[in-house]
Amino acid sequence: MASKPYDTTFLTTVGKKIVMAITGLFLVIFVVEHMLGNLFFLVGADAYNEYSHKLLSLGPLLWAIEIVLLAAFVFHAFYGISITLYNKSARPEKYKQLRSAGKPSRKTISSTTMIYTGLILLIFLVIHLKSFKYGTYYSTVVNGVEMRDLHRLMVEKFSTPLYTFGYVAVMILLGFHLRHGFWSAFQSLGANHPRYSAGIYTLGVFIAIILAIGFVAVPLWIYFTQ
Amino acid sequence: MKNMTLKLLIWRQKDANSPGEMVPYTVENVSPHMSFLEMLDVLNEKIIKEGGDPIEFDNDCREGICGMCSLVINGIPHGTQHRTATCQLHMRHFKDGDTITIEPFRAKPFPVIKDLAVDRSAFDRIIAKGGYISVNTGSAPDANSIPISKEAADLAMDAAECIGCGACVAACPNASAALFVGAKISQYTFLPQGKPEAKRRALRMIEQMDAEGFGNCSNHGECEAVCPKEISILNIARMRREFLKAAIR
Amino acid sequence: MSQSNSKLDSKIPDGPLDKKWETHKNNIKVVSPANKRKHTIIVVGTGLAGASASASLAELGYNVKTFCIQDSPRRAHSIAAQGGINAAKNYQNDNDSVFRLFYDTIKGGDYRAREANVYRLAELSANIIDQCVAQGVPFAREYGGLLANRSFGGVLVSRTFYARGQTGQQLLLGAYGAMMRQVDLGKVEMYPRREMLDVIVVDGKARGIVVRNLITGAVERYAADAVILATGGYGNLYYLSTNAKNSNATAIWRAYKRGAYFANPCFVQIHPTCIPVSGDYQSKLTLMSESLRNDGRVWVPKKKGDNRPPNEIPEEERDYYLERRYPSYGNLVPRDVASRNAKYVCDEGRGVGETGLAVYLDFSDAIRRLGEDYIRDKYGNLFEMYERITGEDPYKTPMKIYPAVHYTMGGLWVDYNLMSTIPGLYVLGEANFSDHGANRLGASALMQGLADGYFIIPYTIGDYLANTDLPPVSTEEKAFEESEKEIQEFVKRLLSVKGKKTVMEFHRELGMIMWNKVGMSRNAKGLQEALSDIPALREEFWKNVNVPGDEKHLNKNLEFAGRVADFLELGELVAMDALQREESCGGHFREEYATPDGEALRNDEKFSFVAAWQYKGEGKKPELVREDLKFEYVKPTQRSYK
Repeated sequence: MASKPYDTTFLTTVGKKIVMAITGLFLVIFVVEHMLGNLFFLVGADAYNEYSHKLLSLGPLLWAIEIVLLAAFVFHAFYGISITLYNKSARPEKYKQLRSAGKPSRKTISSTTMIYTGLILLIFLVIHLKSFKYGTYYSTVVNGVEMRDLHRLMVEKFSTPLYTFGYVAVMILLGFHLRHGFWSAFQSLGANHPRYSAGIYTLGVFIAIILAIGFVAVPLWIYFTQ
Repeated sequence: MKNMTLKLLIWRQKDANSPGEMVPYTVENVSPHMSFLEMLDVLNEKIIKEGGDPIEFDNDCREGICGMCSLVINGIPHGTQHRTATCQLHMRHFKDGDTITIEPFRAKPFPVIKDLAVDRSAFDRIIAKGGYISVNTGSAPDANSIPISKEAADLAMDAAECIGCGACVAACPNASAALFVGAKISQYTFLPQGKPEAKRRALRMIEQMDAEGFGNCSNHGECEAVCPKEISILNIARMRREFLKAAIR
Repeated sequence: MSQSNSKLDSKIPDGPLDKKWETHKNNIKVVSPANKRKHTIIVVGTGLAGASASASLAELGYNVKTFCIQDSPRRAHSIAAQGGINAAKNYQNDNDSVFRLFYDTIKGGDYRAREANVYRLAELSANIIDQCVAQGVPFAREYGGLLANRSFGGVLVSRTFYARGQTGQQLLLGAYGAMMRQVDLGKVEMYPRREMLDVIVVDGKARGIVVRNLITGAVERYAADAVILATGGYGNLYYLSTNAKNSNATAIWRAYKRGAYFANPCFVQIHPTCIPVSGDYQSKLTLMSESLRNDGRVWVPKKKGDNRPPNEIPEEERDYYLERRYPSYGNLVPRDVASRNAKYVCDEGRGVGETGLAVYLDFSDAIRRLGEDYIRDKYGNLFEMYERITGEDPYKTPMKIYPAVHYTMGGLWVDYNLMSTIPGLYVLGEANFSDHGANRLGASALMQGLADGYFIIPYTIGDYLANTDLPPVSTEEKAFEESEKEIQEFVKRLLSVKGKKTVMEFHRELGMIMWNKVGMSRNAKGLQEALSDIPALREEFWKNVNVPGDEKHLNKNLEFAGRVADFLELGELVAMDALQREESCGGHFREEYATPDGEALRNDEKFSFVAAWQYKGEGKKPELVREDLKFEYVKPTQRSYK
């Protein structure tokens, strides 16, 4: 192996986690961007539709981004599931009793439920794409340009309690996923240092909270005001 | 403090191929000054006198450095006291009437030999792949010919303190050996002598770690919390850095 | 009773002291690389000596088979050595030299070691540090990046290298790593969880061993061209000692019974700074590194039975007895002196703690002078260990310490080549008797183990292999078969007694006899009592021991039973040796032979010799064979640390 490491690098336990980290961080960037975009909704219907129109008119660049995103999702999900199954097999005989030893352990409800929050996010993603990307096409005209009226679709979707609170719940789970996922990605990449480790850890918590709040703000606002 | 009576639930398993079970015992007259293993000695003496089969548990130095003790006490490897190996855990941390569960370290690469004794030779096989600097006897230059900063030497020592007990594996929800391997790889990253074979070391040790069947590290950090030497998971990050460097180059 | 020393040839090379090793190396034979591949060497034990020997011999090309009783070779008890390793590097510019290290060691050993061996040890000490640094041992360093040193008992220079309070661990992991590298290269075959139970002698030469697989109980045979024992000392003879629970004398004892002479068994080191006994369940004693005496001050109250807490005893009512009696060395007197003085003050009724068997080791002065951070940096892990065991905070209240059995200077007799009286059987490290005389200085055990393994045995064993006719030996040979049968019978016998007392009870009883009558201070009457108590206990053991379980599974009680059976024989030899040595020297203190102020009184005229004991068969008195010691370069004087 030492002579040609590239053969198996990303099949080792360490390599798999590096893939998880890189894809995960890429997805974090995407999610942050997505959340900020959503906030245009609060500016007004036209602003939101114009923003989404700009994105949609990126053309081939959008395709490229979407392909990379899809790849990141697929790898992240596939590796995540495979790692979890493998880890189960590493301890065939379970403990009768096992508990956390407390600090400095970073084991939390977030860290132990990554596979569950991850799987829910995966299912959510399918529903989400179906609802919006491939959802009903309403059109509108802003400043003389004909474009998709996503604002209307949003208002429609988030006026039903099931969809709204389901969405809110999933976004809270996303927060949980990121609370461990964010700093864990840095740790998995070896990008950790005594001077920054506490900072990265705290930043992870911060990002998780901000994202969850950012994502649930719009649906709740729609549900309660429109 | 007065002497205590304790209820114990202990994993008994005849040999590697037999199924095991938790068996209850009562041990009386436990002095708070006893170490945990001395308490088990007392129990074993009682079992022998009653014609039973004493409980097998590995132990040797009984001063927290050999790394041979391998008990999970009340669900935590080496028990609830931080920075403490089982042999240095004293009974003053328990209360009269407590029930204590005792299990062996559990992981696929650590099969049970008997009762609480497990086989940790997987660690030796990992070390054999690179847990050293390849220097033959007699070829060393003067010890002071390469200065090493005090900070680097201290960090190397922090990593080198690992006693190889395997509590990290036992505590890890995934039975990962990343802390053990990370500590060894890390030690040599701080020392100029360790640099020439850094790439080979990281790749070979990680390959062997995987071949033994240890799980992936999911960065829970339970390992650091149970480590008798408080070895930081920053060492795992360093291992990954070394691995990436080796894989890219 | 004793014979002339014609029976023992120490093979010390001719020539001036500082040229002996050089000359010897030039004169001995070297095995060609092609022939090295044809030789198999067995190494028993994986402490500093065993691991370093296994690594070095494999590097040379020999096929090495290495055995240890623990689950991993890294667990050997060298791992527990705390304080440091000596080397005559003179990095501190305090006028240290090979000669000074040699002189300190000879004097520290109370002039009962061989000059030539000790000089070689001092010469090799510097190479060890070089080797270990190259292996990545993270020794303590100064801010400038160079190696740091500290002082240890019995010397006036600062020559001890250390890695926090875990020097033994780091050195051992270095040697273990070097050995595991050879395992990977296929030159060392590692056999863990094996206990050596016999040496096989064919045509008068050591040609193999028989071991018991501790997991399956199978008795296994291994043949070789030479056998190296690096199985450590016999301190556990005293039951309570700082040794690990698995440390034992069985390997060297079985070798003794096959014809290897046992030298100076009565030289046992009692270490002054151990955590005192707390109750009768106690299974072992924990050492606190001697380096603590650099900054800690030892004292007891001046008044007898003064029960006040230490902080309430005013300065003028404290007796800093080591500083008072030994103004020039103070708290840094050698171990035997420090231990004996602790015993004296406790015998006077001035001991402290619940049992009255402890003295204070007080850091309050050092903390005041240097600051708590400095002390924490230097001894933090030792302080923590103390607190963990005793529940007391040594930053706030003085430590309580008491002497405990720690190291055995005695061991199998070896010549200058480290070969025992059985040709082809080599003995390294604490298992041999060679370098420490009647008392070992601090930080010298690590030095000896590594010197033996890295730098001596690789040369001297080559000379033997090149000069000796060694026809192939099969494990089907009669000697193997007989030995296996004897071992099977021995195991069956242990299991079949089914008596009333446990192995631990016998061991504890033996320990009490040894500690009380063959311990820190000995007299003819006590020794004679021990010589009747021990055989009586041995007889009871074989009638009344209860060994549970069977021989086909991991059975620690069975392992221990065998070891205790051997201790019950060895204890008698130790007492016998202590009785014949009618002088006081180093760790061997005979009350009848003391200076008026209670210091050890040697008798160089009559006892300047190594007492080597030859086994004569079961139930027969062993024969004492003397190797006279010649001092050409240092003149034995009354040791003084005043």
